[in-house]
Amino acid sequence: MSFDGYKNVIKEGDTVILYLTITQVYCIKAEPKTVNKKGNFIENVFQTPYGALKCADLIGKHYGSKITLSKGWGYVLQPTPELWTITLPHRTQIIYTPDISMIILQLELCPGSIVIESGTGSGSLSHALIRAVKPHGHLYTFDFHEIRAETARDEFEDHGLTSYVTVNNKDVCESGFGDDLNNKADAVFLDLPHPWLVIPHTIKSIKDTGGRLCSFSPCIEQVQKSCLMLLKLGFQEIQTVEVLQTQYAVQQRSLPLLNLEFLKNEKDGSECEKKERETFKTITSIPPASLPGHTGYLTFATLPPIWARNLQISLNQNDINNVE
Amino acid sequence: MENKKPDTTINVGDYLVVQRQGYTKLHKLKNHGNLILGSFTVEMDNIIGEKYFDTFQMKNMPGSRRFYILEKVDEVNTATGSLNIEQSGADNRNIPNNAESQGLTKEDIDKLKGEELSSNNIVEQLINNSKTFSMKTEYSQEKYIKKKEKKYFEYIQIRRPSIRLLSQMFYRQDPTKTMGIRIDDLSQILTYANIHPEGNHLLYDSGTSGLMPAAIMNAIGSNTTGSLIHMHPGNECQKNAFVAMQFPQEQSDRCVNVNLYSVLRCFYQSKETFSFKNDSLEKPSDIATKTSETEGSESENRVMETSAVSEDTAEPSAKKPRIEENSQKRQWQLDNEKACRILKNKVDCLIITAKEHPVNIVKELLQFLSGGRSFVVFSLLKEPLQDLYFYLKSRVDIIYIRLSTNFMRNYQVLPDRTHPEVNMNTGGYILTGFKLAY
Ligand SMILES: C[S@@+](CC[C@H](N)C(=O)[O-])C[C@H]1O[C@@H](n2cnc3c(N)ncnc32)[C@H](O)[C@@H]1O
Repeated sequence: MSFDGYKNVIKEGDTVILYLTITQVYCIKAEPKTVNKKGNFIENVFQTPYGALKCADLIGKHYGSKITLSKGWGYVLQPTPELWTITLPHRTQIIYTPDISMIILQLELCPGSIVIESGTGSGSLSHALIRAVKPHGHLYTFDFHEIRAETARDEFEDHGLTSYVTVNNKDVCESGFGDDLNNKADAVFLDLPHPWLVIPHTIKSIKDTGGRLCSFSPCIEQVQKSCLMLLKLGFQEIQTVEVLQTQYAVQQRSLPLLNLEFLKNEKDGSECEKKERETFKTITSIPPASLPGHTGYLTFATLPPIWARNLQISLNQNDINNVE
Repeated sequence: MENKKPDTTINVGDYLVVQRQGYTKLHKLKNHGNLILGSFTVEMDNIIGEKYFDTFQMKNMPGSRRFYILEKVDEVNTATGSLNIEQSGADNRNIPNNAESQGLTKEDIDKLKGEELSSNNIVEQLINNSKTFSMKTEYSQEKYIKKKEKKYFEYIQIRRPSIRLLSQMFYRQDPTKTMGIRIDDLSQILTYANIHPEGNHLLYDSGTSGLMPAAIMNAIGSNTTGSLIHMHPGNECQKNAFVAMQFPQEQSDRCVNVNLYSVLRCFYQSKETFSFKNDSLEKPSDIATKTSETEGSESENRVMETSAVSEDTAEPSAKKPRIEENSQKRQWQLDNEKACRILKNKVDCLIITAKEHPVNIVKELLQFLSGGRSFVVFSLLKEPLQDLYFYLKSRVDIIYIRLSTNFMRNYQVLPDRTHPEVNMNTGGYILTGFKLAY
């Protein structure tokens, strides 16, 4: 229940982020018992590289406090959508914070917005969408994979977010988002293999006063098909962008300085003297040796309000004629 | 000034984003107001009462060469769509390198513009008078037409400002307007700061044309409880983007603008004056009594920059309860006290977008951040954030310190012509971290 708003104290059942080092961050549940593979209740113990942690001990601790492990220590943090994204159990490929951030800003979401998402996948993006639109907005998320939809629903409930989200188990390529959502959405987000088949359905769901759309696709061919569909349907401001984040390791480095001056003179014995090795100290930021060079292309577009759609369709038709 | 969002009609007093091809400009709509768009002066009256997203054609004002009026249109003739190009070359082998290829002079073109602004017509004339156009390949013909069309494009569209449009507009006009904060930087500052519609947020911003406070207030939302203390270094804060967003009164009231020095002096030296109340948020009745005392000449006085805002503060003055003249506090003092009461109870989020070296600012403001919460610092330069990194490492109460930057690339997507856009730019650097609770 620890995702809804700012929290101070860990309550039983909370999802808690355990921070050990910058590369060792985990999510755990503040629950005394857990179910093992055989289906029996056992004590909930989390094994870390620095020793075991009894999860029951977390209850009542402050978020942001230090906890002792048998061979070291760690810190407990309240989960944020960003921390959740890097610790969540993967059931699919997920979207990461640099792309998520761009999606939320570009979809122009704010508290009160109604947003549609498909597919739900592992719910990485969903958590950030919910934070952006609550308390009086809503997320409608769709996945045709039954277990994924169910797991996501349970997860949202467990995180205390149920009142902000509705999970639907449905194939959106076939039938769109359902008549209940006609003329409801401010924004639609698509992360599925055939976005261009879903885009026509979004027109009905987006408000008559217009709205924003985003499609995330790893392959450029998908992007091309989506963009052509967006043009045909009268979307405007069609824009494709890629965002890659580089994280630096900030370090102080010492470089040895070579003295080559003494070579200019004849040996006088002084070069044999044990001199202190000269070094040059510098602070620098080092990118990782290898980093993701591609996540996906983000295609954004605006569906104009109904009174401006015909004009936009004819404008776009010019562009289409041009390339055909 | 109540919630304008659902209203789709363009009204006098609205802030608009005027879009002409890829170009956008922010404009406050007045009766009988003009808009300067490149070399055009456009009278805006005809859009009043029309709808957002409508498209208007710039038409020559009878008897005037430079002035244009707007006419709502339901269809658009663009040059690329209607021109019939009969001949093109297979490649560019016959195109001379530096020949004077255009027969029309600048005067000829100005004359065309003055008669009737029609990109269609002008582009056609340019083509007819071009000695090389028919030798160009189809691809470069299209490029030529697009380029010329853009220059003489006679249609504009009226949009309601949004954080996205404002951020892109400022950055395109001049990145220094937003301190180099590009849209991807902004998006990440907002997510890593973990802004909620509730709770108290603290921003120090040394000048992003009001984009940072506007974006944060936008994320906090209308009809919510969250608040923002916006600290700035000057006499007055930059507000362009903030007023352009036209937040409802109840929402913009939850952003308290204070001068950094002045509010900290108040915090340290006037504890007794602000601490008599201990609720972190003001009751609405308190806001009503805070009236427009903005003419004061103190160096640290906060003067509202735009008329829209001073209207807001001036409004309740009629109902102002009569207080003893010398006990009456100025608006900026009341704002300082309000901010100090919030600071005393600590904030849930700290964002620093500074031109200055960030270490001293972070050192000072971190004390106001609740334990367990995150902070974000933006800088256009990497080195100050490296210094900050080592400073934070030396403290024992900060964890998860990350320094990052982004690579952002736009794409042209067209069948058989998809490629990254030719021009690219670089963003700034973002440092994030969490404060521990003790
Ligand atoms: C890559 S995952 C989405 C990940 C998600 N964005 C996240 O950040 O966790 C794609 C999901 O789309 C679902 N999906 C694919 N095609 C679909 C369709 N036609 N209708 C509904 N869901 C679909 C898949 O089941 C899968 O769970």
